Amino acid sequence: MRDLITVATFTIKDMLQRKSFIISTLIILVLIVVGFNIPNIISKIKGDSDWNDKILLVDSENIFEGNLEALNSDESPYKFIVKNEKIDEQEIKNEISSGEINSCLVFEKGDNGIVINYYVESTVSYGEIPEEVITSFANIYKNVQLSKLGLSNEQLQSLNMPFNINTIETDENPASGNQFVIMLLSILLFYAIYFCAYQVSSSITTEKTSKIMETLITSTNPRTIVLGKTIGIGIVGLLQILSIMIVGIISAVSFLPEGTLDGILDMTNITPMLGGVIIIYFIFGYFFYALLYALTGSTVSKPEDINSVNGPIAIIAIAGFYLAYFSMMNPSSNINVVASMLPISSPFSMPFRVMMGTATTTELIGSILILLASILVVAKISIKIYSSAILNYGTKLSLKDMMKIYKNEK
Amino acid sequence: MGLEVKNVKKNFGAKLAVDNLSFEINKPGAFGLLGTNGAGKTTTIRMILGIIKKDDGTILWNGKEVSRKHVKFGYLPEERGIYPKTKVYDQLMYFAKLKGMKKQEADEAIKYWLKRLELEEYTYLQAEKLSKGNQQKVQFITAVMHDPELIVLDEPFSGLDPINTEILKNVMIDLINKGKYIIMSSHQMNSIEEFCTDLVILNKGKTVLKGNLNDIKNSYKSNKMEIQALDNIDELIKSLGLKVIFSKDNNYEVEIKDEEEGYKLYNLLAKDNIKVNKFELKKPSLHDIFIEKVGASK
Repeated sequence: MRDLITVATFTIKDMLQRKSFIISTLIILVLIVVGFNIPNIISKIKGDSDWNDKILLVDSENIFEGNLEALNSDESPYKFIVKNEKIDEQEIKNEISSGEINSCLVFEKGDNGIVINYYVESTVSYGEIPEEVITSFANIYKNVQLSKLGLSNEQLQSLNMPFNINTIETDENPASGNQFVIMLLSILLFYAIYFCAYQVSSSITTEKTSKIMETLITSTNPRTIVLGKTIGIGIVGLLQILSIMIVGIISAVSFLPEGTLDGILDMTNITPMLGGVIIIYFIFGYFFYALLYALTGSTVSKPEDINSVNGPIAIIAIAGFYLAYFSMMNPSSNINVVASMLPISSPFSMPFRVMMGTATTTELIGSILILLASILVVAKISIKIYSSAILNYGTKLSLKDMMKIYKNEK
Repeated sequence: MGLEVKNVKKNFGAKLAVDNLSFEINKPGAFGLLGTNGAGKTTTIRMILGIIKKDDGTILWNGKEVSRKHVKFGYLPEERGIYPKTKVYDQLMYFAKLKGMKKQEADEAIKYWLKRLELEEYTYLQAEKLSKGNQQKVQFITAVMHDPELIVLDEPFSGLDPINTEILKNVMIDLINKGKYIIMSSHQMNSIEEFCTDLVILNKGKTVLKGNLNDIKNSYKSNKMEIQALDNIDELIKSLGLKVIFSKDNNYEVEIKDEEEGYKLYNLLAKDNIKVNKFELKKPSLHDIFIEKVGASK
């Protein structure tokens, strides 16, 4: 146990001191901060203005019969200046170029309805007329016309009756939860498990390249090295993900306009129980893939060979992720049960079945036990092959060589 | 007390790496493990330390299997390895902890050995910034800092300059005087002759010679002599029908069949009143014995 902590601590310290790790983490964090600032940056480039600033509405034909002022309610994000007299086109252009107004809408009656002439410096900078503004014009016009029919208030209200939707799902275990949150967490979990586990392989090959292996395996046993390294890299990976999440949350709160993520990121489905399930599957999923990578990492002697031996593991991981991902898109399909039981996909699938409320307790326990048993099997094979393969400094080992080693080590 | 290697065999596929190897180290001191490239020296060392499994035979330390549990051992592998990006102190501390040392004890040992091997100035430097010789000394510290009973050194002097060789030789003498059991594998015969009392010579996995170095050498008759004369003695040597191996400025190395031929030349030199500074009958060196034994087994 003492040696395990020593190997894990050394691995953590070694990784945290690596320039490549520090630089790549900093780049990710900077990109997150910059990403959340994109709306602010665009706004700065556009001169601190948006479509919302000052919009001149010209209704010289009195189409809205003086009701356009109603658009300037407290809730409106736009500031409208209403004029009922005709304004010369050149004058409009001058006002726009001088910055007195940002844009101007001139209303005219046409043969097939109302024509809106939209004057704006550039649609690239200021965009098209927002849909909700056009709807507001249409509503005002409709109400003006309806008022002329002499209808009572009740009759007017009955014409504008709101629609309330009640959804009744017929499935006994209907899926719930915010799909966007599910996808986001799924991708984050895949990234965390896949890339952290990959580091194990790279770390072992680097150690082989530096020819330190013989000194190392006469100082402690191979099992301690593999597990200590796996734990150490896992902790560093977890720290990296936590730092990404913390910077992401702080950036979202600090830089995004209030309410931007409402409805997109609904975290109400994330209960402490689900948090626990996510952590369990992160740890077990990471161990499953990290131990597979420990095996491949020990079979090569040169860093340039890592990618070729890791290819099959990458395919397994990606297949597992997509199996989980596609089953998530069809929450009621039986393929969900398969995806949440197979060790290659259960770390990505089961947390989201729990979130959606479609997994039974038996399925959850069964899935964890299968994953745990798979980890033990993979660990046994990996450590055995690692013990012999690390002293092989020649060409990379084939699957046949590995099977031979495993048989001899038995 | 000591190491017993008995009937040990190892094959790598169809290739025989070590065949029926037996030897004992039953008293402290240095033991030489010699052989040509690919003779099975490193495989033997790896089997002794349990890095690879033997196919047959027994390897015991004080009657028990050699393992970290039963014996504190240190190992300097032939493959020089180091964590290039890690500071010298940090990697020594890492290995010290893995070898069971407490932090304080490890700190004292690391500082002692860095000073002893003249590496103090590199304590907090990344290992890759050190010269190869200094990296090798760092690795040597890894093998000895935990005060092991059994020390296995695979080519300890290769790649070292004369100054560093001298430093390491003094450490070796200290370790022998402290009663350590040292197994030394080397191609440098003079180093083996300098330190080892017993040895085994391997060729293609087979034992071609083993035993006490003095006994082995004493079993050979003198086969050459070295003379430093003040005059030219070419004619004198020719008159006895002896073969000159090497001569320069009246210094001669002459091949002889036995000591008698040497004494004959000595008497002639005395009779002719030729002054000599040195006259030495020489037994075959370990180098000669090695060449003879390995050559004969080919």
